[in-house]
Amino acid sequence: MSAPPGTPKVRRFFLALLCLGAIHYTAPWPGPQAVLNTFLVLGLGPGFSSPLAGAAWAGAGGWVLEGSLRLYPHLGGTAFGNMLACLLAYLLLLRWPPHALKPYWGRQAVLVIVHTLLVHLSVSFAAGAHAWGTGWLWSLLLLPAWATVALRLHPPIHRK
Amino acid sequence: MRRSGWGLSAVGLSRWALVALLLGNLLWMELGRGGSSRWQHLLNILAAPPRAVSARLERWREYRQERVTSLKVAQADVASLRAQVAALLAAREAEAPRLAEAEEAVRLLGLKKLLPLAFQSARVIVNVRRAPFGGMILDRGADAGLIPDQGVIAPDGVVGRLWDVGATQSSLLPLDAYNASTGVMLARSRATGVLQGLGPGKAAIRYIGNQEVVQVGEPVFTSGLDRVFPRGLLVGYVSAVRPHDVELHVEVVLAAPLDRLGLVLILPAHPRLEVQPPAEPAGAGKPALS
Repeated sequence: MSAPPGTPKVRRFFLALLCLGAIHYTAPWPGPQAVLNTFLVLGLGPGFSSPLAGAAWAGAGGWVLEGSLRLYPHLGGTAFGNMLACLLAYLLLLRWPPHALKPYWGRQAVLVIVHTLLVHLSVSFAAGAHAWGTGWLWSLLLLPAWATVALRLHPPIHRK
Repeated sequence: MRRSGWGLSAVGLSRWALVALLLGNLLWMELGRGGSSRWQHLLNILAAPPRAVSARLERWREYRQERVTSLKVAQADVASLRAQVAALLAAREAEAPRLAEAEEAVRLLGLKKLLPLAFQSARVIVNVRRAPFGGMILDRGADAGLIPDQGVIAPDGVVGRLWDVGATQSSLLPLDAYNASTGVMLARSRATGVLQGLGPGKAAIRYIGNQEVVQVGEPVFTSGLDRVFPRGLLVGYVSAVRPHDVELHVEVVLAAPLDRLGLVLILPAHPRLEVQPPAEPAGAGKPALS
């Protein structure tokens, strides 16, 4: 008995929603919050069949993260960086579908760095100078966990 | 031929939506940048019309509230002032008789000081002078030592004489009574005659020869020859003069307001013919020598 064709999309949707809520409620712990944000942007977002849906989820994650932090004088920078990083990951996934776990880890590590730079750049543009923080380091350290989850539990449809 | 993918297809619309999402976010970031937020500036511009309407509405409500408050305060003030005016009018009405009597008493006191006679004061309690066979009733009688034919005067002039004296009251015969006769003299010619009443407020002088020169407006004084009044008390003023046979018919308007008398002075019986005013105290009026 095979699962209905819409089931992975629904799962991905609810998982993204759960991730969004987790980002909001992990505001007192910026490290895990950054990991959840990275997982939503680079792990779940590119897996949607439409780049618009992935970018929207990534943007929503950025808005929730900034809103929960309440640190910046003007919001929107993290969301914009999230959307750009998500679109980049989507293009890479579309162009070179992953075939193994470790190359995928390497690609995600590079994307984490790129995502960090993009978010930092857009936040600097929107709100001015700000602290870097250690969220990117948390994302790199926990990359094997969240990247493995993204690849195996919810394999991107482009990999087929 | 390959399709571009940016048309009205689902993929094209999705791409346009993605571009709009990115550009919208970027526009939001751009508008909110810097110290003075341009986004806030834009919001202020957009909020200006409703803010102006709200301010105008608020001003209108304040104006209306202030107007209503001012009207209520003014109405309360008017009501308070009306009540005060009514109270003052009522107090004045209540005090008017006493005030008039006090003024009359003051004038009587002044007259009493001018004439060195033993006056008795009396109050007019009934005044039916205009009724047939009417007269005035005083509140003094024989108990005060009064006798008939004592003269009665007021500050404005001579009133009449006592006609009948009872135990505690007495009736007064005014000068304008038809049966009243008083010895008078004219101020200018010093011609003497007899004053007889002609009706309310009027009298005529008899026995003035037609060779006398009498002017209208000339004062008329008592002559003192009737031994009721001393000489020189004001009786009235000449109002008309016309020859009548061998004498002049001289009409006189009485000086005393007989209809409004409240207090009168009663002269002693048979007073002296001449009454001199009291002499001034020694030294009064003289300049001090230094």
